[in-house]
Amino acid sequence: MSDTATAQHEDSHASLVVDNKKLLMWLFLGSDCMFFGTLISTHLIYRKLYPESFEPTALFSLELTSFSTFILLMSSFLMALAVSAMHKGELKSFRRNVIGVIFFGLIFLACQVYEFAHFVHEDLTLSTNTFGSTFYLMTGTHGVHVAIGIFWLICMYFYSHTGKMDAHESAVDVEVAGLYWHFVDIVWIVIFTAVYLLEYVDF
Amino acid sequence: MSEANYDPLPVSPEPQHDAETDKYHTFVNLALGLAAITGIELVLVYLPFNQIFILSTLLALSLFKFIAVIAWFMHLIYDKLLLTLAFGTGMAIATGTFVALGFIMSRSNVDMEAITAF
Repeated sequence: MSDTATAQHEDSHASLVVDNKKLLMWLFLGSDCMFFGTLISTHLIYRKLYPESFEPTALFSLELTSFSTFILLMSSFLMALAVSAMHKGELKSFRRNVIGVIFFGLIFLACQVYEFAHFVHEDLTLSTNTFGSTFYLMTGTHGVHVAIGIFWLICMYFYSHTGKMDAHESAVDVEVAGLYWHFVDIVWIVIFTAVYLLEYVDF
Repeated sequence: MSEANYDPLPVSPEPQHDAETDKYHTFVNLALGLAAITGIELVLVYLPFNQIFILSTLLALSLFKFIAVIAWFMHLIYDKLLLTLAFGTGMAIATGTFVALGFIMSRSNVDMEAITAF
């Protein structure tokens, strides 16, 4: 086979190949969708069955939650920039953006801890009623996902300082971490609308 | 084909760099758009509009944010169709579960008195 033919064959092969790590992460995210789908469904169905059991708008601070949402969206933006920087081989830019993502992720977690503390202070615990059970389980699971994402990015940040991280070869690893982080963001987009905003709409 | 007349395409990092620069502008515009939508959502729930209108708008905006993050931030529009199918399957099952549970657990299908007694 000539060099040109070999090159063409390799090109066509490359266009068909999907990176295993990325495929596995997308499959995991698909399964995580089912997990969160069930948690959110359970919360909404119990809200529909027992609408009179609890009035959450008296407890919710929509300004705080909107701020958390904004923070998480901006962290997603920085994560996209980090992935882009890695594709360009700019390790310093990658580190800068990852630090930003970690910082924003920690702010989000701090807001969630503050919100939970406020709710518990107002006597809404995991065992108070069905709203408390489903709310804490759902938002808590999301918070754990955020915490895992932060831990992952911290590991990645320190790993980038060891010199073992090749800017181009590690781009896929960073992209996979980015997919996880963006997923955490889209789950929050759904929770923000379905759990917080819809409580204020009388339909 | 001999080595002498083999003329490979010039390999340059420039196109990749340009593509990433284009993506940067897309990401900035998208981030601004998402922030603006979140602001609109916050204001919308306090406005004295028709509740069905507010509900529909909130759901539409949320759906837009959801799809925008998946398509651009998660690179799904730049990637292979297989990845969309992998994620779409999970999404379809999750949505199906929600719809099915919604029908099964509607007030008319649940014996509320029995639950309350329990």
